[in-house]
Amino acid sequence: MFPNLNIPSIPLPDMPFAFPLGGMDIAFYAVAIVMLVTAVFTVAVKNILQSAVFLIFSFVATAILYMLLHAEFIALAQVMVYVGGVVIFVVFTILLTSHLGEDAFSTKIPRVFAAFALSASFVLVMVKCVLPTPELSSGVVNSAADYSSLEQFALRLLGYDHSGFIIPFEVVSILLLMTLICAITIARKSKEDVAKEKEVK
Amino acid sequence: MFVPSITNPIGDFVRDIVPRLAEYLPASIQSDTLNSIVAFLVNALICVIAVCAVNIGSAPILIYMERKVCAHVQCRLGPMRLGWHGTIQTIADVLKMLFKEVYAPSGADKLMFYLAPLIVLIAPFIVCALIPFGRNLVVADVSMGIPLIIAVNGFGVLGILLGGWSSNNKYSLLGALRSGAQMISYEISFAMILLFVVMISGSTNLMSITMGQEGTILDWWIFKIPVLGFIAFILFFISSTAEMNRAPFDIAEAEQELTGGYHTEYNGTPFAMFYLAEYIALVTNSALAVTCFLGGFLPPCIGIAAVDNYLNMVPGVIWFFAKVYFMIWCYMMVRWTFVRPRVDQLMDFEWKFLLPVNLVLLVAGAAYIVVFN
Repeated sequence: MFPNLNIPSIPLPDMPFAFPLGGMDIAFYAVAIVMLVTAVFTVAVKNILQSAVFLIFSFVATAILYMLLHAEFIALAQVMVYVGGVVIFVVFTILLTSHLGEDAFSTKIPRVFAAFALSASFVLVMVKCVLPTPELSSGVVNSAADYSSLEQFALRLLGYDHSGFIIPFEVVSILLLMTLICAITIARKSKEDVAKEKEVK
Repeated sequence: MFVPSITNPIGDFVRDIVPRLAEYLPASIQSDTLNSIVAFLVNALICVIAVCAVNIGSAPILIYMERKVCAHVQCRLGPMRLGWHGTIQTIADVLKMLFKEVYAPSGADKLMFYLAPLIVLIAPFIVCALIPFGRNLVVADVSMGIPLIIAVNGFGVLGILLGGWSSNNKYSLLGALRSGAQMISYEISFAMILLFVVMISGSTNLMSITMGQEGTILDWWIFKIPVLGFIAFILFFISSTAEMNRAPFDIAEAEQELTGGYHTEYNGTPFAMFYLAEYIALVTNSALAVTCFLGGFLPPCIGIAAVDNYLNMVPGVIWFFAKVYFMIWCYMMVRWTFVRPRVDQLMDFEWKFLLPVNLVLLVAGAAYIVVFN
């Protein structure tokens, strides 16, 4: 097709990008950058509603990170719990805060030294934990291929045998039922209120 | 080297043809890695175009259909002037909408104001990518389809809330808060019905949910479980209508009370995006109902071989879209038939009727599976 073209052989490496795993690594760095930028914006933005939105995007990027690590259920739980949770937070922000749209409303707290100390100590702990781990990038996966699938997850969660989690699961479900009943008890009208309403009518 | 791949016949075709085309390139830039990356990118592009074509292409058709159905329900003719029976009217409307000036009201939070329509569009597009349109026609055949659908539905509420709040308008804010309460509540029963489907089909993958209904028309989930399937279908219909903010559950925008609700202040392209999201949600929810209850792309076989042979000759996509448009027609007839309930009636209906019935249905479904399997 190009008979007269005599391009000198460009030394292109077999892998188009100098990453050990190619596409996966590009995806990781892209997601990590989005995650960090949105996390910084969450703290830096003055408006509380905007920071909630940036928080959601940070959580979604975290979910994509989980997905890259083949932990699909954790990724979906992350989206389900946090997006839903932050949405409800947004509702309450709108309902409970006045002066939301004004510049005077600020979430800035003057605790510069404490913040620096906390983040520095966190970085120190992370470096202490992560650096000693040998060959993190070339580690071997030692769990089964469908370990994180929904079926395996559910079977282990409801398993009776040694590796199952049926008792914690039941304890948590009773706790959730208790909170549900408590919420209904608080929200429902007492008999006195109903009687008063009837009198008014 | 890890290169993600898309597995279906079209993907195989692309993977086959890219290396053959690459042979014409100069030898120095040929490599297998480059070929597989190009093939993947072409496949991804095809998938994106397919999803966009189904979504954006169906919106003008649905707008025209809605206007005609509405008109005939109310003994009018609807659009008649432009083109044959007003067929070009929608295209003219879309063009007008796209060329309008886009501006935000003074005092609006500009970032949130323009972000909200984008967020609303996330959920319908992701759900559309999961739905199997035919035996080999599915963009993302993921194993956790139903949990993903439940997870991304939260973005719809977020977009509406942000749009309503950032408009700096009382009507918008009221509409947004109403719809936030409504959609969060009805999402619960929506998820419950999908859980019922997962329970009876034993899978969260939409393709295997469809393939579990293979056989005659009586094998569809709506008929296979005697009464429960039909009840579940009706409940799905109700909760998805409320989840889409469509009339009779459209208290979020209630024209007579709120002059349009959360999108009062929107115009031009952002308004078109809210509108688009609403109609795509109509398509995806109908497609979900078809996939979960009405046999997806499978033909309605009746068990007589002579008839079934003819029915099987029609491609699955045509059956799928026929069923989807039937469902959309049902949603439209409901919209123009029933009256809108009050806000408190709506919430009472969800929390005091729909949710308990859903829980009972889940228990009854479990009992059915235990007794008959």
